[in-house]
Order: sequence, then C-alpha cells, then structure tokens
Amino acid sequence: MSRWLGAAVVVVLLAAVPIWFEAFWLQTGLFAMAAIIAAIGLSILVGIAGQLSLAHAFFVAIGAYGYAYLADRIPPLLALVAAVLLAGVAGALFSPIAGRVRGIYLGLASLGLVFLGQHIFQNATGITGGYRGVAVPPFSLFGFEFTGADGLVVLGVPYGPLEKLWYLGLVLVALSLWYGHNLVRSRPGRALATVRDSEVAAATNGIDVVRYKAAAFTVSSMYAGLGGVLMALAFGRIVPESFGLLLSIDFLVMVVIGGAGSVGGAAAGAVFVTALPLILNHYSGSLPLLAEPGSGGVGAAEFSRLLYGAAIVAVLLFARDGLAGLVHRKERVV
Amino acid sequence: MNQFVTLFVGGLFLGAIYSLVALGFVTVFKATHVINFAQGSVLLLGAYVIARAHESVGFALAVALGVLAAAVASVLIDAVLIRRIRRADLGTLAILTLGVDILLATELSRRIGTDVLNIGAPWGSDVTEVAGIRVATSRVLAGGVAAVLVAGFWLAFKFTDFGIAMRSAAEDGEVASLMGIRLNRVAATAWALAGALAAIGGLFLTSFPAAGVTGSVGLLALATIPAVVLGGFDSPGGAVLGGLIIGVVSVLTAGYQEELSFLGRGLGGVAPFAVMLLVLLVRPSGLFGTREVTRV
Amino acid sequence: MRRVGLLAVVLAFTVTACGKGGAEEEPAKGSGEQAVKTGPGASADTITLGYLPDLSGVFAPNGKSQMEGANLYWDAKNKAGGICGRQIEVKVQDTGYDPQKAVAAYQQLSGDVIGLGLVLGSSIVNALLPNVQQDQMFLNFAGWTSDILPSENVAIAGTTYDIEAINAVDFLMKEHGVASGDTIGHLYFEGDYGENALKGSKFAAEKHGLEILEQKITPADQDMTGQVSAFKKAGVKAILFSAAPPQAASLAGLAASQKLDVPIVANGPGWTPQLLTTPAADAMEANYFVVSSMAPLSVQSEGVTKFLSEYQAKYPKGTPSSNGSLYAYAGAQIADAALTKACENKDLTRKGVLDALHSLTALDTGGTVAGTLDFSDPASPPGSLVYIAKVSKDAPGGLEALGEPAQAADAEGYSF
Repeated sequence: MSRWLGAAVVVVLLAAVPIWFEAFWLQTGLFAMAAIIAAIGLSILVGIAGQLSLAHAFFVAIGAYGYAYLADRIPPLLALVAAVLLAGVAGALFSPIAGRVRGIYLGLASLGLVFLGQHIFQNATGITGGYRGVAVPPFSLFGFEFTGADGLVVLGVPYGPLEKLWYLGLVLVALSLWYGHNLVRSRPGRALATVRDSEVAAATNGIDVVRYKAAAFTVSSMYAGLGGVLMALAFGRIVPESFGLLLSIDFLVMVVIGGAGSVGGAAAGAVFVTALPLILNHYSGSLPLLAEPGSGGVGAAEFSRLLYGAAIVAVLLFARDGLAGLVHRKERVV
Repeated sequence: MNQFVTLFVGGLFLGAIYSLVALGFVTVFKATHVINFAQGSVLLLGAYVIARAHESVGFALAVALGVLAAAVASVLIDAVLIRRIRRADLGTLAILTLGVDILLATELSRRIGTDVLNIGAPWGSDVTEVAGIRVATSRVLAGGVAAVLVAGFWLAFKFTDFGIAMRSAAEDGEVASLMGIRLNRVAATAWALAGALAAIGGLFLTSFPAAGVTGSVGLLALATIPAVVLGGFDSPGGAVLGGLIIGVVSVLTAGYQEELSFLGRGLGGVAPFAVMLLVLLVRPSGLFGTREVTRV
Repeated sequence: MRRVGLLAVVLAFTVTACGKGGAEEEPAKGSGEQAVKTGPGASADTITLGYLPDLSGVFAPNGKSQMEGANLYWDAKNKAGGICGRQIEVKVQDTGYDPQKAVAAYQQLSGDVIGLGLVLGSSIVNALLPNVQQDQMFLNFAGWTSDILPSENVAIAGTTYDIEAINAVDFLMKEHGVASGDTIGHLYFEGDYGENALKGSKFAAEKHGLEILEQKITPADQDMTGQVSAFKKAGVKAILFSAAPPQAASLAGLAASQKLDVPIVANGPGWTPQLLTTPAADAMEANYFVVSSMAPLSVQSEGVTKFLSEYQAKYPKGTPSSNGSLYAYAGAQIADAALTKACENKDLTRKGVLDALHSLTALDTGGTVAGTLDFSDPASPPGSLVYIAKVSKDAPGGLEALGEPAQAADAEGYSF
C-alpha cells in the first residue's frame, strides 16, 4: 500500500517538474532521459550478453537521423517507430561481425563503426545535411503538436516544446525501464547471461549462441535508436559532431559506473554522466575555487572534466559493482 | 609509379612510429590484460617534458627525462590503481585507464594552452634523399630507432628472464606465480616499457614535419588502435606489422584522394578503421592474435 | 525513513519554485530625457551579455584567448563609464564545442542576457539559432562562414572564408603568376570552415579557368605526407589552405622537403605566431601567406595599436592572436556600437539592440577588422575587404601586411 502511495507521489512530482523548473533543467533532464534509454540498451549488451561495444553512438545517430529524415515524410509517431526499427536493422547488419568477434576485439572493432559513421554523416549530405546538420521536425501525436504554437498555458506556465517533450520523455523512459527489467528476468535474458558466462555451457544447454548474440545486438541498437530520437527532439537540430567517439565512451562509462547488467544502474549512470557537467557549469559562478574563464588557472570547464575523470576512477576502485552495487549493499544491510 | 613509391615509403616511416606506440599497448595487454587507454596521455606527457626541458638541459637529456617521466607515470597507473582491482573484467579496467587518461590529458592541455611547443630536435627540418625519394630525416631516424627497439624487444622477449616471466604470466598468471614469478614486478616492467615506447613515439610524432607538441597530440595514440587490433592484441609482431599497415594505408588513401573521391573525401582518417573491420571479418582475432579455442 | 526522503524532495521543489516564466519587458519608466526602454538583460545600472566560447573542448586554447580579448575590452569600457550609464556584465558559459552542452548553456543564460557577445562554432550556432530567433537576440558569431547567412540575428566580424578564398586566388594570379589552365591545390578541413572556403575557391577557379585539386582532411589528420605527394604529382602552382596550424606546419615543411616550391595562402585560422618556433618556420617564411579580414598584429592602425598596448598591460605573459583575443575584442567593438546606438534610440530591449545593429552601415573598428562594416543586409557579410599578409619573423605576431586592405573584383558576382 505505502509502496503504491510512494510511486504515485513520485509520478505526480515528476509530472509537475515543468511547472516549477526553468528551461535549463528541462533541457538537462531531457538529455538525461535520452541517455537513460540508450544506456539501458548498452547495459543489456555489455552487462547481460557480455559484449563490449564502443559503437553505441553510431546507433544513437541512426535513430536521430532516421527520425529527422522520416518525420518530414510520414507522421512523427510512425517516424519514431521506423527510426527505432532502422537502428535495429543496423545492429542486425553489424551482428555477423559481432557474432564472430569476441570480447575486446568486438569493443575495438565497433569503434570502427563510429568513425565510419562520422564519415558517412559528413558526406551523405542529401540525407544528413553534412556538417550543417538537419532540423528535426517537431513531434506530434494524434494532432497534438509538441511545439509552443498552440499557446497552451498550464497553471500560468506557458507550455512550449521542452515542457511537452518532458512528458514524452517520461513515458519513453518508463517503457524502456519496464521492458528492460522484464527482459533481464525472462528466459531470453537468462539465456544471454549464460552466453556471457560460458558460451560452451550455453551451447550444450541448447542455446543458439550466435542467434542470441545477434538478438542482443539488435535489441541494444533499438534502445540506442529510441534514445537517439529523443535526443534529436530535445536538440531541435542535429549535427554529426554530436555522435562521435566521446559519446560512445560516455555511454560505456554510464554503464560501467552504473553497474554493468543493472537496468536501474545504467539509468543512474546516465543521469550522472549527462547531468554532471551541465550542472557544474550551471553553478560554476557560485563555486569559490574556480578561476574566471579566460583568466588562466583551473576553470569550471576543466574542473568538470577533472571531476568526471576522478569520478570514474573512484567509482571503479571503491564501488566495484557501480552505483547499482551501492544501493543493493545498503538493502542487504537493512 | 614514382608517386606510389614515395607514398609507400612515407607511409612505412609513419607506420614505424605507430608500431612503437602499438607495441606498448600489446606489452601491457600481454602482461596484465589491460587495454590501456591512458597510453595517449602518457605519450603527451613524454613529449611535453621533452619540449619543456630541452632548452635548459639539452636535447639528449631532455629525451631521457621525457622517457623516464612517461615510464614512471605509466608504472604508477598500474601500481596505484590497476593493481587494486587486478581481477576485474576487461571492460572495467579499460574504463579505469580512460578515467586516468581524462585526468592527465585535461591537466596537460591546460598547461599547454594555445602553445605549439617545439620538441627541439637537433635534426630540425633536414631532409634525407635515398634512391631519388626525399624523406624527412626525423622520419628516417624514427624508422631506425623503431627497428632497433623492435629487434631488442624481440630478443629480450625470447631470451631473457623477463621475457620468459612475461610470457608465462600471459599464459597463466596463477601458474606463473606458483612458479615463483613475481607478477607485480612483471607488470611494472611491462607498464614502464609501454610508457617509454609511448614517449619515444611521441617524440617522433611531434618532430618535423609535425608542428610540435599541442594539447591534442594525445589523440594521435587513437590512430594506433586499429594497428593493435588488426595485428592481434597479444602479438608484439602483429602490433609492429599492424602499425606499418596502418601508416601505409592512411598515407596512400590521402595521396590517392582524387582517385578515391567516389568514396567521399577525407578518407585518410577512416581508412585504417575500415581495413581493421575487414581484417576482423576474416580473422576474428587479428592477423597474429591467439585464437580462442574452446574445447568441450 | 521514506517519509523524510519524500519530505526532502518536496522541500527541494518548493525551494526551487521561484517564479518560472519569462521576464517581461519593462515599460519605459521615469520621464522625459532619461527614459530608456529595457527588457531582459538590461537593468537600470547593468547590461548583461552572454558569452558561449569553447573552454574545455578541441578549441579550448582559442576560447581562452578569446575571453582575454573580451574581458580586456569590457573592463576598459566599464572603467570609462560603461554604456548608457550602465556597467557591462559578461556571463560566460562553456560549450566544450558540444552542441548538447551549448543548448543547455544557452537555456541557462538566455533569461538574463540582452544578446550573445560571442558564440564559437557554426554547428553550435546552427543548434542555437531556432531559440535565438525566437528570443530576438543578436549573436556575435566567432567564425566566418557564409552558410549562416542570411540571418537577421547573426553578426560576423568582417567577411567570410569564401570571400577570403576568392581574394586569395586573385592575389595568386596577380602576384605569383598563376594563369588560366593551371592547377592549384586546396587543402581543407571537413566541415563549415574548410568547405565554405572551398566554395569560394571553386567559384574563382571557374571564373579564371583554373583547376582545383581538392584534398579534404579532418582535424585528426596531422601528417600531410600523402596530400603533399598528390599536390606534387598534379604539378600545382599554388596551394590554398583552410585548416589549422598543426597541419600548416606539416604542409609547409613537407612541401619544402619535396621541393614543391609554391606559395601557400591560408585563411585566418591557419595561422598562429607559434608556427615560427616550429622546424617549418623557414619554409613558412619563404612561401606562406595569410588572407583574412582580421588585422595582422603588425598593422599600424589606431584600433590594433590600442588593442596591443592594452593587451600587453593586462596580460604581460600572454600571446595576443588575430583570431583569438583580437577577434573577441573586435566582436566587443561591434556589440558596443550596437548597444550605444540602441541607447541613443532609447530602446535597450533585445529587439531594439538588433534593430540598432542593422542600422550600422559604416562601422569603423579602427582597423581591427578590414574596412568599414555594414550590417544593414542580413544576406551578405558586413565586410568585403581582406588583409593579405606574409610570414615574417621580425613582425609582431609574425605577419607583415602586404599593402592596404583590398578586395578582388571577382567577389562582386558571387552569391552566398
């Protein structure tokens, strides 16, 4: 009973966020939500199927560009679904390599996809707009436009694109978490974990290892694609630079510091990695240690970068199972 | 034809430098099973120390200092951080080195700022002519140094106690330690070697015809990743060959950009990764990597 | 325990819940002479400008240099009494050259500033533009690409890379014997900067019957062995260069080592004085030229001399640079002119400042930017003149201007 009450309060509070918070927080929140969805996908791949991938940014980009291209031509909801499927297809196409190549080779081979992707996004100007990028058509659902054009006002707060997208983000994150949890506990999820622990054992138990690995790659890419769509919507305009190696590394960091294999952990890692630099920047004016930009010394930007590096090192050394491990440990004590 | 030979030779010399850095990756991986993403910032550290020191202590001593600094930094990463979680999985260890890389690279590029630091090499912009092909002297030297180091490395690996210790550590750490091999010492030696190789690679990557040491030099180590992968992650010979292949491929694709323009321009940076993917399709563990054989 | 947690969350909400919703324009208060209409970013005693440089990404060194120039200008301005009786406050947010961070940083600044004093990178400007248009802000674009045109909101200091390239070709034909039928190489960066310059060089080449041999690179490419060899094989008579200093050193050094003795003409971002400390310095002094609407530091004009003396007083250890500190200084001059004009019009709202900017038709920066600037037409860059300079070890900043700012006749028929 009290659990349901708690959940209801959380839902109400989350739904009320756009009424209280400034655009900066909504924007940061939307980026974090997009990262959560994509990170869940990578967590399934790395933590559960045991396949290290540095190509995640590539699949996120497929989702983002796929939506931007299709939403001009078909209804946005269909474009969203199609973009997710497209990312899944891209993942399936890469899975022959993923199936053959293992462990660290896979991780570094997938790095190649990010660079190939950058090359394609820069050169396929007809679809991606090249370095100029493309404008992302606003989302709409059964005639309800996710823009500020209708002049909707809720409790005295004008509802623009950010406020409306906030709810879309909440729904997508909830669906992703729910599906991820179920997948981990389902038969396929346990089969994947067996594949991770020992391919030989899996094969002797009648698990089709190659097929399961391919499926894991496909599902993970679809998550990436959905995250990409939300990211594109939050941006309004996407450019190739947003989907480079750094983003791939960020995703891997999210999953590892969140605790590989934990859906909730990946979400926590995503929030940490995405929001930390933005929030540090936000408060840089009130942190006394930091030098004025342009005056030499350690500025907010460098400080946030250093903190990011230090956080990675600290989590890995002192909280081996990531953020998810910390929570579980506490639960066990209580 | 002449153009092809010029490009090929230029690519080989560039590849020789990549080979050194790649060899460092492989050494660390063989001894401790860590993918060391901090190699790039260690390279930058070595080059930075050389560039800062050469005016006051002279070039030769500066190089010694740079190599020493990189080796010490590299050993510290292993001894202070990696050793605590030696048994963690590959991904965790790799991300840990990535965290270190972010810390070190951020601080070094802050110190360098907008500067382009001269590495102070005495051969400056000299050019050597061999059989009608003109190559920068620094590149010829790099090729020579690389050849000597690789040969020395091979000999040490085959015939010294360290080599045997390292090979057995790579084969099976537990058995090796039962046999009385001190794994921590093997690890430290391997990390020191990797740091030293990175610093020497950094020295040549930042001397003529490159501009000098800038904040982004550490990124050059990224270019050696396809070399390591296509050579085979646990094969020193593969790393050397991989480095040479990547050097040649990137120079050739740049030189024949006009002819290859149907693939999109600016291929030089992507081609090594494309070659790497192709090789992996055929040989999933690289050219010379140990194939994982599963026996039931 | 759970209750307490919940309470904390609720409290956090209440604390943060302080007046969301855009700041409304304040009607002109007071009476008679003193009444100046103000809006977001302007109060009775301060005007706030937003700066979005890259302080942690790939252009961080340049970003810091730019903030030096901006602080230099506004500090001096504030000491002299500010604008419209108000002090200028600069709010800085780092973008890390990452559009995602930039969009969040903009959301954070946008409520408090009257306009953007500097935004680095056209991918970032593109990402911000929908919001900037909605907020009716002016935006000083640290970059010189004509892709951004036409835009009501964007101000460029001087002319664009394509016009620079057209002038470069003109210079090569007039001064270095390049003639119809010749091939010239163009080494350029993937992305806005390089490809915009390429558009200009292709236009000029077509007009004069020249061939362009394209070599596209990325900032990660630092070794130009393959490119130089391709240029040599094609027998290029000159090379246009639209990349960064590390590539410049490699290009000039390797060209000299391969005995490819041809002039290299670079866009502004292809130069930094530190190139003179590299082993390629001799090769650069022999063959390297820079074409830019930003003044070389050796120019003896009133604006540049003033900048240099102020700079050296404030940052005795710093290195002034044309497209770093001087650029931001010139950008501040433009913002200053627009704000001063808006004050004269008694309209310090964002729209008022934007209108004031468009009413500037002959802004003289004292030579920090070539020629006078005309901001009345949003479809073309405000300047069309360029300085052409030669590398020289003795000149301040390493560049010696060749003659007065000039403009190629070709640029007339060019469409952006």
